[in-house]
Amino acid sequence: MMNDNVNHTEADTDIDPVIEAYKKDVDRTLIRENLRLTVDERFQQLMKLQHFAEELRRAGKETESQH
Amino acid sequence: MTDFQALIRLLTESKVEFIVIGGAAATAHGSARLTLDLDIVYRRSSENMARLVSALNPLQPYLRGAPPGLPFDWSEETLFKGLNFTLTTNLGALDLLGEVTGGGNYEALLTYAVKLQLAGVECLCLGLRRLIEVKRAAGRPKDFDAIAELEVIDEERRAR
Repeated sequence: MMNDNVNHTEADTDIDPVIEAYKKDVDRTLIRENLRLTVDERFQQLMKLQHFAEELRRAGKETESQH
Repeated sequence: MTDFQALIRLLTESKVEFIVIGGAAATAHGSARLTLDLDIVYRRSSENMARLVSALNPLQPYLRGAPPGLPFDWSEETLFKGLNFTLTTNLGALDLLGEVTGGGNYEALLTYAVKLQLAGVECLCLGLRRLIEVKRAAGRPKDFDAIAELEVIDEERRAR
């Protein structure tokens, strides 16, 4: 579990218009799903994503070598 | 593939003083972005560097991206002479940072660290607001997406 109390004592940063523009493209549904997970589950999900990315890279290399 | 949980457990059980930062810290806070390495800021005391060297020794740490066969002595002396190390280990990619742009060293970041329960151990992770500030201070355009996501995470957490 995160110690949320510590986070709330941290100072806010100023609003940056560039970042505000980028925020429009963030998928909030993914964030909300992640926030429902435990920290351990978030890391397990990250490692699954890493594994998938490696599989994609391997498949891409195999395709390249065939052409 | 980097086994984040195993690396963090190993460092914690070896009594290494460190703070998780970067993409792994973002994951801990709820980020959905892919990160491939574990970034930590380690305390540069001689005792802590000795613990760090001892903890990683069995993992055969080597400079990531360096040609194989180069002489690399993983020792307290090497750690003392350097500051930031990008390593490959048997448990994956690990970046050891003595300090970070806009954030400073371990002692400077400690005030902004939060406790995480991860992989059965308790470790320190940079708090969300400070993580955003450090990424902003780095000023790298490639971080804009990540900063925007972290800001959204902060908004969503506050709205809960």
